[in-house]
Amino acid sequence: MRIIVCVKQICQVYARSGMDPRSWFVAPEDKVYRVNPFDEAALQLAAKVKGALARTEIRLLTLGPLIAEAELRRGVAMAGADELIQLVSQTAPDPWAKSLILARAVKMIGADLVLCGKEALDTRHGQVGAFLARHLEVPFVSSIKNLEISPDGATAKVERSARKGVGEIWESPVPAVFSVDIGRDALPYPSNEAKKRAEALPLRIRSFSDEPVPLTTHLGIEPPRPRPIKIPAPDSSLPAFERVGQLFLGSRIEKKGLILSGTPESQVEGIVSFLRDHSLLK
Amino acid sequence: MFTAFDPLLIATALLIMVVGTRRRWSFWRKGRSENRPGDWKGLSGYLLFQKKILKGGWGGIAHMVLFWGVLIPLVVIVLAQFAFVMRPGPAHALAFILDLAGAAAMAGVLFFLVRRAARSFKTSGVSSEMPWPAALLFLILLSGFIAQGTRLNLVPAPFWTAPVGWLFSRVSPSSPLALQLAIRLHFFAVLGLFALLPFTSLRHVPAGALNVYYRRKGPRGVLRPVSFEKGPLGAKSTADLTWKQLLEAEACVSCGRCEQNCPAFLSGKKLSPRNLMGKIFKQLEAPESSLAGEAVSLEEIWSCTTCMACVAHCPLYIEPMDKVVDMRRYEILGKGAAPVEARPMLRDLELFGDVNGKGISRRTDWALNLGVPILSATSEQPQVLLWIGCSGAFHPKYRETARNMVKILKRAGVSFAILGGEEGCCGDPARRLGEESLFLDLARKNILRWQRHCFKKIVALCPHCFNTLKNEYPVVAEKMGTEARTEIEVVHASEFLLNIIEGKQITLKYPVKGQAAIHDPCYLGRANGIYAPLRKIVKAIPGLSLRELERSGEKGFCCGGGGGGMWLHETKGVHINGLRAAEIAGSGVGLVSTACPYCLTMLEDGLNALELERPIKVEDIIDIVSGSLG
Ligand code: SF4
Ligand code: SF4
Repeated sequence: MRIIVCVKQICQVYARSGMDPRSWFVAPEDKVYRVNPFDEAALQLAAKVKGALARTEIRLLTLGPLIAEAELRRGVAMAGADELIQLVSQTAPDPWAKSLILARAVKMIGADLVLCGKEALDTRHGQVGAFLARHLEVPFVSSIKNLEISPDGATAKVERSARKGVGEIWESPVPAVFSVDIGRDALPYPSNEAKKRAEALPLRIRSFSDEPVPLTTHLGIEPPRPRPIKIPAPDSSLPAFERVGQLFLGSRIEKKGLILSGTPESQVEGIVSFLRDHSLLK
Repeated sequence: MFTAFDPLLIATALLIMVVGTRRRWSFWRKGRSENRPGDWKGLSGYLLFQKKILKGGWGGIAHMVLFWGVLIPLVVIVLAQFAFVMRPGPAHALAFILDLAGAAAMAGVLFFLVRRAARSFKTSGVSSEMPWPAALLFLILLSGFIAQGTRLNLVPAPFWTAPVGWLFSRVSPSSPLALQLAIRLHFFAVLGLFALLPFTSLRHVPAGALNVYYRRKGPRGVLRPVSFEKGPLGAKSTADLTWKQLLEAEACVSCGRCEQNCPAFLSGKKLSPRNLMGKIFKQLEAPESSLAGEAVSLEEIWSCTTCMACVAHCPLYIEPMDKVVDMRRYEILGKGAAPVEARPMLRDLELFGDVNGKGISRRTDWALNLGVPILSATSEQPQVLLWIGCSGAFHPKYRETARNMVKILKRAGVSFAILGGEEGCCGDPARRLGEESLFLDLARKNILRWQRHCFKKIVALCPHCFNTLKNEYPVVAEKMGTEARTEIEVVHASEFLLNIIEGKQITLKYPVKGQAAIHDPCYLGRANGIYAPLRKIVKAIPGLSLRELERSGEKGFCCGGGGGGMWLHETKGVHINGLRAAEIAGSGVGLVSTACPYCLTMLEDGLNALELERPIKVEDIIDIVSGSLG
């Protein structure tokens, strides 16, 4: 059985500690480049099938530039993947076009099962899997958490999460496309040997001469409203405009302040000396 | 007295001993190579005063008297074969000494026999080996005294030259035949003892001495590096251990001192450092059989807190802990079998560089609005670089401690700075869990970042950071080949605080009433031998008095948080922090002072779980000093 896992490399913005509104307060250190966690869950299920079913191979398919190659290779190690394929596309397509590119690649490689994350942490479209199934004209189940392939490799039993805590069990013939949600089991931990093998795995690059046409057009981004980590009361000596500005600037406002700790006596003394220092007390 | 056969007998016994010893030594000498300088002075001091052995209470004393009680007569009797002519005075004195030495050895042997018998009734886990050496020694001494008693009956000598012998003469026959018999028995038993030496726990005499000769010199808290080029990655079987590690197994006498102080064992986990050494010993002859995961179960491997109590208490300088770590390395690096509970933390370390997965952007949030200078490439060299650690940066309670440290430093007029986002996890949790490659990654990143900045001294809040930066980074830096900054001095916050208190840079004015106990963090105390600052600081706080816990100092009991314990679940037995909390609650103090974020959390949890009527506060020494700051 050949499983293709579609993996997206994402740039996860985990904080907004910058000062520049033009970059939406995202400083360079606020990003980590990694593999979409839902895709990691897909890799985990693929590895599970590989462990249970003899003669299973896993191919890892990624679309777009290598922004997180180290993490991608860690994913290879984690799943014990046999091949790593990068698809290069010139345009920045919409989910429809993306799924078309992926479908072409899948058809070319040939697969019994395609797994992908249920959505990407950065764009959150959650469409590619379903579109892909349509292009390939195979069944699709979304948000699966567990996967079992029958010994003859003809059907798959999947468990998907419906609403809170409710699981649904479905059976589907293969070939099929499943999108994967993060499950209960901890991700596999790659051994040193697996990591080494993954690092040595050659990267196969594929591109297509004719780019698919997107159905929709991406116009722009609405910046997030800055959410400060902690809003200290704005400095009251400043004019209102600047105070509001400070609040909007959000993440980091350096404001002089003193937090007293220690025994009550020492705190009282702290307050008194503060008042004295600011000539509020004679 | 000698018959013509005797030299032959002696030669046979010695031959058996030599051949047996050579066979045994061939096992441990097959271990992987390791560079260990020997130390004659250390060994002779060890044998002469037996300080380390004496720490074990009565057992230590019994060993001491037995050691000298056997050695002195042995030397005298060997010398006596050269037929010295002695005047009666010295001869009598010598007889007296021999008599006393024999009596001492007898007492020692009896102690060991009785203790052994008592233990085999109490616990099922004592070594299965029969106590042949002790029984033989007993026979030797008994026959010796009977011979002496019989001789005194035949040829009377002044009572004082052999008081114990005289006692035996009361119950001994007075016939030359009996004398001959007793002497023969004595002689054969001695030969037997020599011949048996390599085959019984007596092998600890040569192997133990050798192990002491090659013992570790530096601080205990440094783990053996892994060679990723040459391997092996951790220890799957005894074949992956170094000769020194195997020699330790050969030397272990199964005395159980390690186990009696092991928090994992005492809290009902399957791990016992004594059993562990026994298992390795059993596999010495079959180095290919599997150790990690088979002979030593996963439960044993993952319940160690790397507290080093076993290392500190072993009278033979055996270090059971490093074998546990080596097996962990095999589990993680070799098999990718990291414990499930610890995986998210390890992943956070990989992605974000801290154990909480908050990321470097949030690393200075604790210092918001405090005006803490962050070191940049252009800033002036501060007196000290404050190393906050993941806990200081992210743990809600320990952040307060970090702030208090800032307050103290400001009050003391010390120029300081932090690295801010340039500080990453030191790598201790990864390393103690066996994830050596992640540790190296984190350590190398930190070392490279250090090179961009100008500072000479690091003050670390957390003892784990302290130990890693101070003792382990130099080893990593050396291997990196960069001009690693070895001139950096690393001190722990408690040492630094004591310094500024003693230098009168701050005054401790406000009293803290009551009694404080001290919980010694393993990585400050046992790993680095730093015990005094905490005590001196507590005594310097007005109003506060110190009350030592039963298990403190070198004997201090782990909180359960080290070695990744913070992230692992204790599923068997009781919780380690619960044991410690109960001990603290029993001591009647109102405050426990420690100096480690893990201890702080673990003890607080443990004490809360006790639901005491009068809750006991747990505070870092920094918080206590800051509260009393004038
Ligand atoms: S390091 Fe501590 S927990 Fe581990 S075996 Fe030794 S005494 Fe036990
Ligand atoms: S390792 Fe040391 S302390 Fe533990 S049983 Fe062996 S000799 Fe005794």
